[in-house]
Amino acid sequence: MRAQLLTGLALTALALFAVPAVLADGTLAMLAPAAALGLPAVGVSVLTGRAGLPTLGQGAPFAVGAYATALLARAGLTTGPAQLVAAALAGALFALATGPVVVRARGATALMITLALGELVATAAGRWTSVTGGTDGLAGIPPVQLWWGGSPLTDDTALYRYLVVVTALALGVTVLVLGSPLGLLLAGSRDHEERMRAAGHRVGGHLLAAYIGAGALAGLGGALLVTEQSYVSPADVGFGTSSLVLLAAVLGGIGSPLGALAGTVLVVVVRDQLAAHWPGHGPLLLGALFVAAVYLLPDGITSIRLRRP
Amino acid sequence: MGLIDANLVPAVDGVAFGLLLFVAAAGLTLAFGTGDVLNLAHGTLYTVGGYSAAALCDGTWRGLLLALVAGTAAAAVGGALLAALTAPLRRRGHLAQALLTFGLALIGGDLLSSAAGGGDLPVAFPAALNGSVLLAGHRFPVHRLALIAVAAALAGAGQLVLTRTRAGALVRATVDDPQMVSCLGTDPRRVHAGVLVAGGALAGLAGVLGAPVIGPGPGSADTVLLLSLVVVVLGGLGSVGGALVAAVAVGEVQTLGVVLAPGLAPYLLFAAMAGALVLRSRTPGRRA
Amino acid sequence: MTSARGARTRRTSTRRVRATGLLLLVTALGASGCSSGSPSAAAGSGSVRIGLLASLSGTYKEVGTDLRDGFQLYLDSHQGKLGGHPVDLVVADEGDGAPTALPAATKLVKQDKILAMTGIVGAGSVAAVSPLLTENRIPLVSSNGRPVVKDVSRQWSTSFMSDDPGAAIAQYVHDTVQGPVFAIGPDYQGGWDELRGFTDAFTKAGGQLANPGGKTLFTPFPQTNDFTPYLTQIKNSHAKAVYCFYAGGAAVDFVKQYAQSDVAGIPLYAAGFLTEGGVLNAQGDAAKGIQSVLNYAPDLDNATNRSFVSAWQAKHSGPPTTYAMASYDAAAVLDQAIAAAGKNLTPETLNTAIGGLGQIDSPRGTWEFGKNTHSPVQKWYLRQVKSDGRALSNLTVQDLATLGN
Repeated sequence: MRAQLLTGLALTALALFAVPAVLADGTLAMLAPAAALGLPAVGVSVLTGRAGLPTLGQGAPFAVGAYATALLARAGLTTGPAQLVAAALAGALFALATGPVVVRARGATALMITLALGELVATAAGRWTSVTGGTDGLAGIPPVQLWWGGSPLTDDTALYRYLVVVTALALGVTVLVLGSPLGLLLAGSRDHEERMRAAGHRVGGHLLAAYIGAGALAGLGGALLVTEQSYVSPADVGFGTSSLVLLAAVLGGIGSPLGALAGTVLVVVVRDQLAAHWPGHGPLLLGALFVAAVYLLPDGITSIRLRRP
Repeated sequence: MGLIDANLVPAVDGVAFGLLLFVAAAGLTLAFGTGDVLNLAHGTLYTVGGYSAAALCDGTWRGLLLALVAGTAAAAVGGALLAALTAPLRRRGHLAQALLTFGLALIGGDLLSSAAGGGDLPVAFPAALNGSVLLAGHRFPVHRLALIAVAAALAGAGQLVLTRTRAGALVRATVDDPQMVSCLGTDPRRVHAGVLVAGGALAGLAGVLGAPVIGPGPGSADTVLLLSLVVVVLGGLGSVGGALVAAVAVGEVQTLGVVLAPGLAPYLLFAAMAGALVLRSRTPGRRA
Repeated sequence: MTSARGARTRRTSTRRVRATGLLLLVTALGASGCSSGSPSAAAGSGSVRIGLLASLSGTYKEVGTDLRDGFQLYLDSHQGKLGGHPVDLVVADEGDGAPTALPAATKLVKQDKILAMTGIVGAGSVAAVSPLLTENRIPLVSSNGRPVVKDVSRQWSTSFMSDDPGAAIAQYVHDTVQGPVFAIGPDYQGGWDELRGFTDAFTKAGGQLANPGGKTLFTPFPQTNDFTPYLTQIKNSHAKAVYCFYAGGAAVDFVKQYAQSDVAGIPLYAAGFLTEGGVLNAQGDAAKGIQSVLNYAPDLDNATNRSFVSAWQAKHSGPPTTYAMASYDAAAVLDQAIAAAGKNLTPETLNTAIGGLGQIDSPRGTWEFGKNTHSPVQKWYLRQVKSDGRALSNLTVQDLATLGN
């Protein structure tokens, strides 16, 4: 655990200082979507990999967090920590409300129930024009401030560091929780549900906790999305997003939160950077990435190991 | 009676739509049942049929026949390709398959739209299918009625194959108990590969037959995949009969439901699906 | 589990975490290696870099390709120069909307350092990239999507406002039909705007809607591709004519089913997208006789259009669409504005120069930017689908209103 913590801190420091120093001017902004999509992917990784509950609906709590942040920011609440707490709460509350119908299901049924929830939320976001701005989306969102009374974060590097810090904290908390007894209970429920029940564990309760945690992570991601692009629309939170974060989590090695984040970065770099050299064929390159990953990295990105020194 | 009379046209249309979905989705549910393969490239196999129809249909019956043969064959080849590519992933679960088949769908969609152009393509069916007939005081498009007849015949034939032939018995046995099948001396993997090929062929056939309903275009693969998944999961994985009922239900929701509750139309399909799945997952002993 | 094995597992897992983390960083750093070469000096070396964002994959690929080709056609017929400067055109894929459009636009702005942006199929994509462009003070000359935006100071559109087509044809329909008209369209933002344009102007002109309760019929979108029940409603309403807006696949289905239905004899009026571009080929003879309103028709009789159409047809099959024309005009706007901005060419001076432009000479006839909307003040035409000798085409019938503010 201590080694993990140190590694995590080192990685965060590298991401905070080395990456901006090395990257060409203007590339930092291109990595921002990876932070917004990375947290829902981490949630999927926990839910699907650890708790065994596949989901194609994380776009829903992502949407709730994003719209909550956008509306609060437009109403004048531009302080980062307050937005993050509000978005995480909104995502968690959504998960609490929908959880009872989700955690009863398993396998493909769970996949389709969450898909339906995601589609219903995205549709509602497109039609509830007075609140969400409809399909044209919500614009005119003021930039975030680091703290009460701070100056707005508009500079690319400052914004990037904000995203890194939030992502690292959320990831750290996730890893800590997974290392706690709850994490073991989740893995137990996934592998030996009947035995866990027989031993008196409330499997449904554990799954609900995981679902709420994933909802909070997705809500946080929604807040980062709004911070990063000063805009949100139903297209940002629909099936495309839900499937992308699931695939990114699988790409990263399902069950590994850091892998999910790495998978998201890989997807974003291929989609936004590599595909820019061949306009119109982004889907082809993304498809090739997925196919290649299935065969070359059977256990995901996390299966790559450093040689023993 | 007045209500039924007023909505007869969309109701019949729903049956046509539902049966088309059934033909398209039958292969998907059997692939699930026999090989435990989650095939997200299934919609792409349908569009292979659709693009064949666009290329070969020229308004004559001969053209349509040619398209039916070519579309079915091309999609069957696609199914065989999928069988070969998913074979090494047998032990790795649904998520690896999802990643692979989703990737293949993205690649296939790009290749098809690069080859055929980006828009919705016209499909010229024989003139006799384009008209409409007056039945019981209502005007029905001939194509929809023909679709009902052909799809129902296909469903019946499929049922016969499944229940009366040795191949069908093997498929049903593989759904129920693959180990038993291998004890009987047949490799369940071969059954599974056969099902993927046959399912691909059916999807391609549906793509040609259904071109006037869901035509070849950039969004059709996603539409068909999503509706097929709904049908397969609602019907119970691997259950052909369940898929038939679910397909007609989805067809009616998308036509009759949309006419009866236009304000709720955008929510209807997914609300109905979620409701049905939640109700079912509460029934003890039934878990998909 | 023995403690030794436990320790090894832990070490392995730590190594994995480190490896993953390093890979993450390397990928992120690799992103910089992929950035497209040297950042351009906006005006330094004499060449200017323009970013064109259009849907080159996905549902709107056909329109996006037209936007790209229209702009390229202008460049090709002007020695690859705009305002005397050689142009470095960077094309990026808008995809299906905001989630792909915004990263592509970010790359154009932050890495390619474009002078101005053009193209963009979807109104939602325009809305999504607006904050980015405003913050970086990059002018946008969009050639299709035009959402409702509050601040148009750096946003220019060469297309039209969504409610213009309906408003332009309303008086004509009222005068010609002399009876109730049935209004129908798809149930989404674009459909609402297009139909509102018609019904507001039509009732203001004294016209009466045949729809029950005077309320426009919105058909579920994208669920509906069978219009039979709605055609029955039209028949029962005893309408003397129908006005509709549909585009893409829905336009094909609607027109085909209309021609086969009991209402086939009732005149059909439409916003021009119903029969524009590829959909007309798909509709075939079913589209014959449909009258539609648009800001362009390929047979318009003016010198600019004649050279535009012949240049287009030398490279592409079929007549040019309004989408290609609007993008051609976006290039013309940039051409004139870059020339007008003179030596000190920056996004800021370019934007000011666009605001100072007068009449634009265009294949659609001359037009100018409206002061309030920054969209064209332009003439609308009535067109009818007829055979032009070789294929079906939208042939001009007469001029309609001039709109814009």
